[in-house]
Amino acid sequence: MISGRLIIRLLAFIALVAVIAGLFWTQNAAFLSEGNIRALMRHMSVQGLAALGLTFVIVVRQFDLSFPGVASLGAMTLGWLIASGMPLSVAVCGGLAVGIAFGLVNGVAVARLGLPDIVTTIATGGLAIGFSYFYSNGTSISQNFFMSGILDLNDRKILGLDMPFAILMAAAIVGFVVLHASRFGRGFYATGENRTSARFSGIPTRTLIVAAFAICGMMACLSITLLVASSGAANVTAGNQLLMPAFAAVYLGAALFGRPSVGATLAGTLMMSTMLNGFTLLAIPYYYSDAIVSTVLIAAIALFDPRVSGLFRTLVAKKDKTA
Amino acid sequence: MTDITASLSPARQPAKPHRHGGVFTRYGFFLLVIAVFIAFAWLRPTFIAPGNIHGMLMSASIAALMFLGLTWIVAAGEIDVSFMSVAALSNMIVAGLVQSGSGWALATLGGLAAGLVFGLLNAGLVAGLRLPALVITIATGALAASVAAAIGLGTSISLSNTGFVGSILNLRLGVVPLIGVIVGLLYAISWFVQEKLTFGHYIYALEQNRAAVVEAGVPVNRMLFMLYVLSGLVSSLAGVLLAANLSSGQPYLGTSYFLDGLTSVLLGGMALKLGKPNVLGTLAAVIFLIGLLNGAALLGWTDSERQIVRGSLLLIGVGLVVFARSRNRGRAHT
Repeated sequence: MISGRLIIRLLAFIALVAVIAGLFWTQNAAFLSEGNIRALMRHMSVQGLAALGLTFVIVVRQFDLSFPGVASLGAMTLGWLIASGMPLSVAVCGGLAVGIAFGLVNGVAVARLGLPDIVTTIATGGLAIGFSYFYSNGTSISQNFFMSGILDLNDRKILGLDMPFAILMAAAIVGFVVLHASRFGRGFYATGENRTSARFSGIPTRTLIVAAFAICGMMACLSITLLVASSGAANVTAGNQLLMPAFAAVYLGAALFGRPSVGATLAGTLMMSTMLNGFTLLAIPYYYSDAIVSTVLIAAIALFDPRVSGLFRTLVAKKDKTA
Repeated sequence: MTDITASLSPARQPAKPHRHGGVFTRYGFFLLVIAVFIAFAWLRPTFIAPGNIHGMLMSASIAALMFLGLTWIVAAGEIDVSFMSVAALSNMIVAGLVQSGSGWALATLGGLAAGLVFGLLNAGLVAGLRLPALVITIATGALAASVAAAIGLGTSISLSNTGFVGSILNLRLGVVPLIGVIVGLLYAISWFVQEKLTFGHYIYALEQNRAAVVEAGVPVNRMLFMLYVLSGLVSSLAGVLLAANLSSGQPYLGTSYFLDGLTSVLLGGMALKLGKPNVLGTLAAVIFLIGLLNGAALLGWTDSERQIVRGSLLLIGVGLVVFARSRNRGRAHT
């Protein structure tokens, strides 16, 4: 299964992360301290879960722009259920159900009704943001949080790993099995590569697209659950910070490893979280983070695009000849 | 991954000329606009007070200016989701320069330069290198928004004077602000270019079948390049006007224009051309949307309710576009 190319890409990726980490470490020795690495992994968990969900949608060659709004609605639903005294499991399931419901709506609209994905998901995302104000008129919810045990989702440890990171790893393993070790996963890729031929090969393409959107919605809400657990309050703008990092992680990973996959997305998330964490340690204000992420993303997409890298190679080859 | 056009245009097959579209389908949207406005005027007489009409036309003009480039890009089957952040960036650059003592002339140039830079960046990456438009414009949009926030160190900048831009905005002909007339003229020119010149027909053709247009020898990439630069420029101009209109720089003003822009273009696409984004449709949709939001505010609706109205309208617009197209082709899209 593991080809030589993949090993080269993997080694290149590890080297890249090591160089980045090394640079930050020379600037601030606290970068490689245990506390900071734990913080980095927590940050990575929130971003990684949303990005993992998005990976499925990108694999079937669709776009979902609704998940930030849906995540906000999920956060408010979760907060409202907790505040009204529901047990934690019910509250979390309620939040995830919101994500699945919106994902199904997106999926059916795109795959069954043939609506264009980008505009449809922008609209449903807008709707979700509107609905998220209904619980508390837009104020943040934090009643009952301390008693409900949701904070344990952030604070507890499993096998020496912080809970959020353990959840990310569990989700990644499930995602890996579904996407890379099952007929289901082959179907996702086939649907993305060529929908018509996939359908004639007997793959239920529409069902898979609906499933991809549902997974994306659910994972966005799972990721926001961790964010709510770590901040101790649910608010209506919680999801806004997910859009850019999730897209960046998926595309950065796809650029590094040739195609979107669970592993590529995790790698993209790790690289981005490393950079954001490092820049935060260097006391760079929060509003620069999107600028850093987007610059890296544009550079990665441009550099790894076959045409551009081909052009680059011919240039290098020419230089070699002249030298 | 570059196939974003496909997602925006489910109708890959060349559409037959639609002759069946009767007066009602064609102008139904305009009838709806008039009906809604009459209802508002009847429920809340302040809706048609001169001051309110002037205010609405002012917001509509600035919004319409911002969405002009977007209309053409969506008509060509591409997408740009950075327009509102470019407007926010140019807005903050103007505010920052004016606050630091530069005159409005220099500040305006600075704002427009930002629009030009981001227009060229989008154009170079999307039209030049043929990278995926959605992801690239998400990234450039985030970059612009981030720089905009950095200029004000995360908060807004309030301005003590609005300079010559403010005095231009204050000029009015009756209830119509002068800027409304100027934007109206711009839209008239755009309409002429889109409907009467070959350039406009190439844009429509591009959305229908890109490969065919390339084969026909049309410089497709150069056209898309121009459209993205245009989008950056008009968005930044709208940002400059907003700086004077709000007499402040708002780093996060983009978010409210994002849904409105796409809703206007898509909903407007229904009017007149049955599913093809066009400038007159966008103009009508902007006026409708601004009027609707304003009227809803007068009726006491909350922000979240109006947000839901926006989202629903966008869904309805998209649904109608797809429905109109599939009916034109006689069978549903598979």
